[in-house]
Amino acid sequence: MLWYYVDLSWRSFKRTPLVSILMVIAIAIGIGITMTTLSVYHMMSADPIPSKSEQLFALQLQTMDEGEGWFTKDDIPYQLTFKDAQRLMTDAKGDAQAAMVRTGFAVHLGDESNAPKLMDARATGRDFFSMFNAEFIHGGPWSQSDEDNAVNKVVLERSLSEELFGETNPVGKTVFLDKFLFEVVGVIEPITEHTKYYDLNNGAFRRAERVFYPFSLVKELEIGTWGNSNGWKREMVTTFKQRLDSEIVWIQYWVQLDSPESKANYEQYLKGYIQEQQKIGRFARKEPKYSLRDVNQWMEYNEVVSEDNKILVLLSFMFLAVCLANILGLLLAKFMRRAPEVGVRRALGASKTQVFVQHLVEVGLLGLFGGLLGILLAQLCLWGVRESYSYYSALAKMDFLMLASAPIIAIVACILAGLLPAWQVCRTNPAYYLKTQ
Amino acid sequence: MLELKPMINALLRSKIGAVLLLIQVAITLAIVSNAAFMISDRLTYLNQETGYDEEAIFSLSVSTFDPSINLVQQYAQDERDLRAIDGVIDAAMTNWMPLSGSGSSSSMHLVPNPEIGTGVRAAYFTTNEHMLNTLGAKLIEGRNFYPEEVVHADNYGKLPNTTIVTKDFAEELYPDGSALGKVLYQGEDAVEIIGIIDTIKGPWLNDSRPANVVIFPFNLSQPRTGFLVRTEPGKRAEVMAKVEELLLKSESRRVFYGIEGLDESKASYLARDTLVMRMLVVLIVVLVLVTALGIFGLTLFNISKRTKQIGTRRALGARKSAIVRYFLIENFLVAGLGLVIGAALAVLLGQQLMKVFSLPSLSFTFVLASAVFMLIMSLVAAWGPALRAAKVAPSIATRSI
Repeated sequence: MLWYYVDLSWRSFKRTPLVSILMVIAIAIGIGITMTTLSVYHMMSADPIPSKSEQLFALQLQTMDEGEGWFTKDDIPYQLTFKDAQRLMTDAKGDAQAAMVRTGFAVHLGDESNAPKLMDARATGRDFFSMFNAEFIHGGPWSQSDEDNAVNKVVLERSLSEELFGETNPVGKTVFLDKFLFEVVGVIEPITEHTKYYDLNNGAFRRAERVFYPFSLVKELEIGTWGNSNGWKREMVTTFKQRLDSEIVWIQYWVQLDSPESKANYEQYLKGYIQEQQKIGRFARKEPKYSLRDVNQWMEYNEVVSEDNKILVLLSFMFLAVCLANILGLLLAKFMRRAPEVGVRRALGASKTQVFVQHLVEVGLLGLFGGLLGILLAQLCLWGVRESYSYYSALAKMDFLMLASAPIIAIVACILAGLLPAWQVCRTNPAYYLKTQ
Repeated sequence: MLELKPMINALLRSKIGAVLLLIQVAITLAIVSNAAFMISDRLTYLNQETGYDEEAIFSLSVSTFDPSINLVQQYAQDERDLRAIDGVIDAAMTNWMPLSGSGSSSSMHLVPNPEIGTGVRAAYFTTNEHMLNTLGAKLIEGRNFYPEEVVHADNYGKLPNTTIVTKDFAEELYPDGSALGKVLYQGEDAVEIIGIIDTIKGPWLNDSRPANVVIFPFNLSQPRTGFLVRTEPGKRAEVMAKVEELLLKSESRRVFYGIEGLDESKASYLARDTLVMRMLVVLIVVLVLVTALGIFGLTLFNISKRTKQIGTRRALGARKSAIVRYFLIENFLVAGLGLVIGAALAVLLGQQLMKVFSLPSLSFTFVLASAVFMLIMSLVAAWGPALRAAKVAPSIATRSI
């Protein structure tokens, strides 16, 4: 029966090509615009590491004195002081942990083969790679003893390794970061796809770094941050040593807690740590807060999806509604004109339900065509977005979910719009039309 | 106007078409007026005056990674090399670039720490006596830095004791009189305001006070720093193309990056807002087209349903113009009602948007202007079908029942 209905729909489509094409275009435009904004929204808000997002926590500590506020929603700084980060790393009470900071170097081989290139580099703990599911192609992370003794070891992303060393395995070779000589210990695939969720205060959609090295080197080599530093305390900070001892916050900290028990234990540890620090005059407030937010909470807290994107999604769904009202009108016109034919079918024994379903199938087919055309339109719009704003180039794409949902949204929307016209036409009184023919 | 009553009766008898049209017009107005308002809000921001001749200035940054290089000497040499290029008017070293989105800011106080007094936040540039000329900033009061006032150093050991500020900053700090000759404190260090310049924008255009800018005669030579270069009109691209090679020739153990015109820096800083604005424009244009299409289709539908009625009227002596008028007025009635409802909807949507998001409140002028525009559009869309209706032959009335 379904095929018969599809066949009927196709005949009807061919009989009134202009109106049918108008309807397909209307739904395609609606779907195209909606899918464009929805895709960007979907990519921005998608869980970047579904397998572990509930075990990875960004840590914040409220280090300021009583009366000092912060510019975050809950008055807790985004980042930690160096001394807190270092101490937490040494204690290592989580299942895995990584202090980290965005830095950068001129990367070169020390000879004339490559011009030095300035690039971002992340100082972090060796757990970083296992925590954030890094995929090693060659070698592995540096060892714990390298980390403890601040040895110049570096992990490169594949694209950089290929730029510097070609297709060969570079493990054991050396590379210069600024004037410092580093030994390559591993090569990884890119660590994030589009959202750089482990570092949201330097641009959430920035490309991930391609150079990673032990966090202990920050102190050893006096490496400054390429990210934000914020202070609240009046203190003299002109040398690097003073910076490390200061209350300036500039270090990001992630901890992996695999179970609720280990999270509870870790919170106990944090409370103990804060109390201990209060004895030496830090955390001088009545109830110093701390916060452990998992990946999705952290993205929400950092407002990764901006207001503009939410407004655009809202407006584009309203837009889709207008397109549907439009289609509803056109469908009414089209179906009512077909009333005589329906009259004949009804007189020959088709039930109301059959007529109703037949018309819904026709509408669904329109939705399918519109949805497919809408995908093409959305691709065009997304291309425009990428051209207009290169920062979104990894985001303005449709993944499989979005590709699959476009025709579904289109068909459902069309069927909703088609209910009324189909109902109208199936109520046709056969006698009336048989008379006038 | 005698037609009004029968017209309304006819409309009430076939409500669906009219109601659909009404809904469409109402939602469209709500979206269009809000989106147009957001666009205009965004446009004011995007088109703000920066105070610079953006096409004549470019910036370049350098990262010097060899510690054996004497930075103070090298950067002084670089500045001289830059100025010697044909077509360059002036060049100055600076810590941050205007309009780039990266910079430093600090609170400037009327009294030294730890006393609490009025503080005004300002972005600051540490640079030298060539900065004003390079930026093309106009001195309103006071004077430029003397070369001997400029502190040349690679650390914070000695700080400058003079400053030049924008008039915007001066007015905020001293609303009742000239700030010239007054003393400012950044922490415990005092600086005297020796010059006031016309408005220029600092690194952040989205700042609540983008023109609060303070310039210090402090030529701080750090491993990572930058230069601003002003060229003669039309010569910028040529200079930009050869500058890296030229400076690397004098010292190669460093990396130059971020060689871009001020207009380019500004464009990339504003790229996201530009994108949102473009998306809104596309949304509005397509939406209006779709609605026009809808009106067109529904009017056609109404007419096809009433072919016989039109024929009868024509047979009874109605002129073609009367038929056209009938459908236009009918359209006007439905669209008008839709617009009234849409205006209410627009205000409601505007209020909700304002509540949930940080948007300014919707000005009613936009609703009104959008409504007038849409009314005209609906008449234009109905015009074609109405003309077609007028072509219905009177003889139709005589055929069948």
